[in-house]
Amino acid sequence: MLKHLYDTDCVTWSPQGKLFQVEYAMEAVKQGSICLGLKSNENVVLCSLKRQPSELAGYQEKQFKIDDHMAIAIAGLTADARVLCKYMRTECLEYKYTYESHHPVGRLVFKVAEKSQHKTQSGAKRPYGVGLLVAGIDPNGVHLFETCPSGNYYEYKCQAIGSRSQAARTYFESWFHLFEKSTLEQLILHGLSAIKKAIMEDEELNEKNVEVGILGKNLKFTHLNAQELKDYIAKLETFSPNSQIQQE
Amino acid sequence: MIFNSEISAQQQHTTSPVVTGGSVIALVYNGGVVIGTDTLCSYGSMAEFKNVEKIAQVSKNTIYVSSGEFSDFQQVVKELAKIDRQALQYDDGVHPSPRDYGNYLARLSYKKRCKINPLYLQNVIAGFHNGERYLALVDIYGTYLESNFVTTGFASYFCKAIISNYWNENCTLEQAKQVIKECFKVLFCRDCRAHDVIQIAYVDEQGTHIEQPERVETKWDFNGFKTRANEKLHTQ
Repeated sequence: MLKHLYDTDCVTWSPQGKLFQVEYAMEAVKQGSICLGLKSNENVVLCSLKRQPSELAGYQEKQFKIDDHMAIAIAGLTADARVLCKYMRTECLEYKYTYESHHPVGRLVFKVAEKSQHKTQSGAKRPYGVGLLVAGIDPNGVHLFETCPSGNYYEYKCQAIGSRSQAARTYFESWFHLFEKSTLEQLILHGLSAIKKAIMEDEELNEKNVEVGILGKNLKFTHLNAQELKDYIAKLETFSPNSQIQQE
Repeated sequence: MIFNSEISAQQQHTTSPVVTGGSVIALVYNGGVVIGTDTLCSYGSMAEFKNVEKIAQVSKNTIYVSSGEFSDFQQVVKELAKIDRQALQYDDGVHPSPRDYGNYLARLSYKKRCKINPLYLQNVIAGFHNGERYLALVDIYGTYLESNFVTTGFASYFCKAIISNYWNENCTLEQAKQVIKECFKVLFCRDCRAHDVIQIAYVDEQGTHIEQPERVETKWDFNGFKTRANEKLHTQ
């Protein structure tokens, strides 16, 4: 993105009706490594590619459990993500304390969006530089939401955000009609196939740099462990969406 | 140890009740939950307000009744209605379930009890949600108990024997109603603050049904009342 006039702060509109600071914040999301989510009638799967700042460092976690029935995957500024994660966890805990039941997903995303929007309407604040993919299950069904620094939020059947996410979205556009009736295993394999489209040529998927989180109507949020990841990545060799069509 | 200055600095609206409602009896039956209460609000020992409808429908599948200070009951009804109304602003079609109301009330009661400013109520929340019957008692201290039958006030002393002999959790609606009416007959005879006009409401899969108040049959024309020993009434 090039530099523009009228981009000094959030309280200045451009003549074309844009808030450039907010748009720049959304660029920060695009710089984060890819994370994607996809849902079926019963399950939601979050997949993300973890970055390693240097060979000496560990890999940066990108998925965080908010409650048994809800989890997020982040792309962008990790520090901002931590703030939102803490907020969501506190809200869920308070809701559980008062009502003894799980916080409805859409409602929490609405609250996060409200919080994000507030930061875009002040001279002294900056927008959050992180996009969240929120996966959750509630009485209304299975949900996948995307939030962005602008304070907008959208519900998706499947979505990818972060760097080189267009490749994953292209994969989704071809195959998302299969997701609704997919089993959990098929969903995970679709997610990993989509991530594979988005990695650089000299990189490869392995159990260290990929993170997969699963959530289901009767399944609390869990991460796949290293062995399970290895097995699924191995299954990728023989997995093709075409075979799923033949089964149905 | 609570120092007097601490208490006087806090608001203390209801530490002794003024206008009180009577006992509440609630039973689970095979298709839902049924609640009975009388229609009297007493002003101390005076039967001041008769024909009071004390059964509040909080949402489509939840009813709330309580015994104790009636103004606290009215306030709680407003609080519970507020939760449902606030749910509308999120546009997601998710409404509180009966259990949500029960737990919310428990938290509210406990908070007020901690400030020595209690809601002077024994609360009963009944509902039917996702094919499951729900019945809970929340008392003045914020204790929360889910149960198949609930009694408050004097009904806890007089009626438990009747309930355990004639009711089970899979009985029919008619059987449960009959048990409740028997209990209120006994209460009218034994509890000085009870009334013989009662109101019954039940929640089932179709929703809430609140019936018209009715008088329980009690017999007073015993010979012993008409002609007391060695005495004749003026009219005779």
